[in-house]
Amino acid sequence: MDELERLSIIKSAQINQALGVFIFIFGIIITFAMSYTETFVQQMTDLVAGLVLITIGGGMIWKSKRTIRKFKKTNDK
Amino acid sequence: MLAGIDYFIVIAYIVGMLLLGLYFKKFVNSSEDYFLGGRSLPFWAIGMSIVVSDIGALDFVGVSGQAYRYGISVGNFDWVGSVPAMLLAAFIFIPYFWRGGMYTIPEYLGRRYNKSVRTIASATWILFFALDLGVLFWASAVLLNVLMGWPIWISIMSTAGVVGLYTYFGGITAVIMTDVVQMVIMFIGGFALVYLSLDAVGGWENMVAKIGTMGPEYQSHFDIIQPVGTKSPFPWTGILFGLTFVMSNAYMIGNQSIVQRCLTAKNEWHAKASMVFGSALKMFIPILVLFPGLMAVVVHPDLADGDQALPMMIKTILPPGLVGLMFAAFFAGLMSSVDSLLNSTATLFTKDIYEPFIKNDADDKHYLKVGQITTLVLLVIGVATAPISSDFPGIYVAIQTFMSYFQGPIFSILLLGIFWKRTTQWGGLSALVIGIGFAVFLNVFKADYFTIEDPFLYISWWSFVLGFIVNITVSLLTKKHSDAELEGLVFSSKIITKNKS
Repeated sequence: MDELERLSIIKSAQINQALGVFIFIFGIIITFAMSYTETFVQQMTDLVAGLVLITIGGGMIWKSKRTIRKFKKTNDK
Repeated sequence: MLAGIDYFIVIAYIVGMLLLGLYFKKFVNSSEDYFLGGRSLPFWAIGMSIVVSDIGALDFVGVSGQAYRYGISVGNFDWVGSVPAMLLAAFIFIPYFWRGGMYTIPEYLGRRYNKSVRTIASATWILFFALDLGVLFWASAVLLNVLMGWPIWISIMSTAGVVGLYTYFGGITAVIMTDVVQMVIMFIGGFALVYLSLDAVGGWENMVAKIGTMGPEYQSHFDIIQPVGTKSPFPWTGILFGLTFVMSNAYMIGNQSIVQRCLTAKNEWHAKASMVFGSALKMFIPILVLFPGLMAVVVHPDLADGDQALPMMIKTILPPGLVGLMFAAFFAGLMSSVDSLLNSTATLFTKDIYEPFIKNDADDKHYLKVGQITTLVLLVIGVATAPISSDFPGIYVAIQTFMSYFQGPIFSILLLGIFWKRTTQWGGLSALVIGIGFAVFLNVFKADYFTIEDPFLYISWWSFVLGFIVNITVSLLTKKHSDAELEGLVFSSKIITKNKS
């Protein structure tokens, strides 16, 4: 793998990390919005939507952190 | 007006978008980074961005409104009106544009035909994109005014400030990545809305039964194919010839803001895959947009304007939190349309007008600066012309309709340019000019030639047909291009089977 390719992978991972943080924070806000709902169905809808966002955002952060660490290590070697 | 947690969510979304967009500034070091994201983006992000650009907030409201009025036949626009065209674009056209290292569609037309074709096509796009900007700024301002209670001018300036800043600094990477967030939120909010709406109407079968008993005007609400004599704007002939054969292909293959996204892909495989992935996502759009409109027929049967169907459903069906999220997605849809127009117009101007006609020997940093300054100038034009839109309520529809008119002739020259070696520069030029002129003529005298109220699908079809015939006739009468001139510009079966990195 050449240097250009390595930098491109790190760039993609950094972009994904930023997106992940944004989506994750929104997931927390939507889950928190549960406390403003009136019915059980509304509560569950907010909970599910919030958890889906947290999972997607969290997954993106975790994956991109791993990628960044891996490819920065490759460079150190 | 929104209150409490929903208000907070919309504000948080706008601020978050701005910060996210500004973060992408660090990835812009050259004009290629600014216009094509350094050709390094993955297929899934591009595919999501294509879908979001295609279905902006105004379309979101419009499609559910059409579903409220005419039923599920409007779903044709996202199924037969998108998927086949996206697959054709993925496997035939995108590889040529990507391999040629092109920035714009007119650039391809310039190489295949001549500089005049490139300039006319580019100038037409720039003109319509610039006109559209003011309308979109006004629509965003009205949305913010209604939702947040902000005065119109503050709403216009804040939209321009947020979108302008991240597009100016982050270029197309910021545009595509903010679209990804919007797509995720739109899908989650949309599915929640469909689930809760179905619950409110007592299930699908109950809804079908109720709509069936509401009167004769609702009898064809569940017919996806409408007869030729239908009063809706979607007779099957228009859907097949105007939409499936011409408009959808013209849009997915000849629209700068769509194709430019594919050109940001990290390699040819990703460029093709972005369209294929986008087409898969597109199939879900009618479920998210059309179904709430249909269910509104049962929940809110007396709406004066069908376009109120979706906002009303969001307000009455979704719980606090998701209401804010869906309206934030609406606003983001408008921002997405504005940022796409800004970046695409800047690309068209810099690459097709400035570089060939004003300064062709500058260094790369210079063209990056030109692109950024063009973005700023467009922003000022958009803000200045926004209030004019309020004096012309039908202006958005009029601009969209006119855009659809010149897409027919452009598609005819793109199609023949790729598939027929014999087509010449004069054939392409005359087809473009005569085709656009004919579309305008048909629009002016539409009452004399068509029986339906809004015959835009038929006009697209006939302007495409005339452009096609003129191109063939003039090409046969003029000198053909040599094989060397056509290398890499016309169809070869290898394009389907081989990928280039």
